[in-house]
Amino acid sequence: MIAEETLVQELQQEESRAKAFEVLVNTYKERLYWHIRRIVLNHDDADDVLQNTFIKVYRNIEKFKGDSKLYSWMYRIATNESLTFLKQKSKKLGVSDQELKDRMAENLVADVYFEGSEIQIKLQKALATLPDKQKLVFTMKYYQEMKYTEISEILDTSVGALKTSYHLAVKKIETYLKEH
Amino acid sequence: MKKDSKNKFNAPEGYFENFNERLMDRINYEEMAASGSLIPKSDGFRVPHDYFNEVTPTILSKISEENPKVIQLKSYRRFYYGAAAVAAIFVLIFSLFQSKTTSPISFDDLANAELDAYFESADLNMTSYEIAQLAAFDETELNDLLYTNLEDDMIIDYLNNNVDDFELEELNLDNNEND
Repeated sequence: MIAEETLVQELQQEESRAKAFEVLVNTYKERLYWHIRRIVLNHDDADDVLQNTFIKVYRNIEKFKGDSKLYSWMYRIATNESLTFLKQKSKKLGVSDQELKDRMAENLVADVYFEGSEIQIKLQKALATLPDKQKLVFTMKYYQEMKYTEISEILDTSVGALKTSYHLAVKKIETYLKEH
Repeated sequence: MKKDSKNKFNAPEGYFENFNERLMDRINYEEMAASGSLIPKSDGFRVPHDYFNEVTPTILSKISEENPKVIQLKSYRRFYYGAAAVAAIFVLIFSLFQSKTTSPISFDDLANAELDAYFESADLNMTSYEIAQLAAFDETELNDLLYTNLEDDMIIDYLNNNVDDFELEELNLDNNEND
């Protein structure tokens, strides 16, 4: 696997950019897809947001200063794109953000790219009740198995605050699953 | 109700249709029980077959649509040289034309000090009448001249400079003498 520093250098030079970008897409597409999918839930929406994320990365790669790691910079773009997408969707449908989240969880029953059972549907309904940040922290830690230090760099939050957020999320989800 | 042709056993209606679902539920519950948590280990999402292989060319084609490559069908070098030569000729002609068509110095461009110096030094051979005809006084300027109160010092200076054998005593300026 190509070193991140070398990849960034190649991406910032016009003559090597196209080839390096292909490497970048192939390296990160799956990880970013699952991150986005767990926010927007639906596959077609996740596909749209993933493509937009990579287009944004391509457009802004020259501005990437290297203050953070490339992957955390891309995760940040993916997170912002996903949340913006949901905001636009709720506006378009004329519903509140919470109403949209509830609908998204309910629509999973009919989703051909969702093969979860009753318990997974309940889990998504429980996740829909959490604030955005708590839900992000939970899915990044529990399903994407990321380290707190990595999440901290992406969400620009201290490790201590992330741990608190995660434990609160777990408690709320467990309570929901018990009660429903 | 399905029957096994050899053993004559029966299975409930729809048993095999939802078998997978029930099996996954059981696996999930057993996993949850083992981990001591109610939260399932899998969240149940999947992607269409071959999606991750197909998404790369889709993204790359979108990027190339954004940045269309400029393919030169023929070299434009000769055209550039020709265009540069034509532009240079235009610049040259324009600068020459500009220098020739510069407007001549008009009367208004002369500074007043230069005019004063000329009138003082040059012998114009003009009578007062001719000067009066050339110098266009309008009424207000004339009135300024006639009705402006001149200071005594200015009058005495003028007389000293312009009138021969002038003596101040001859003017009888002292008002007390009239009394």
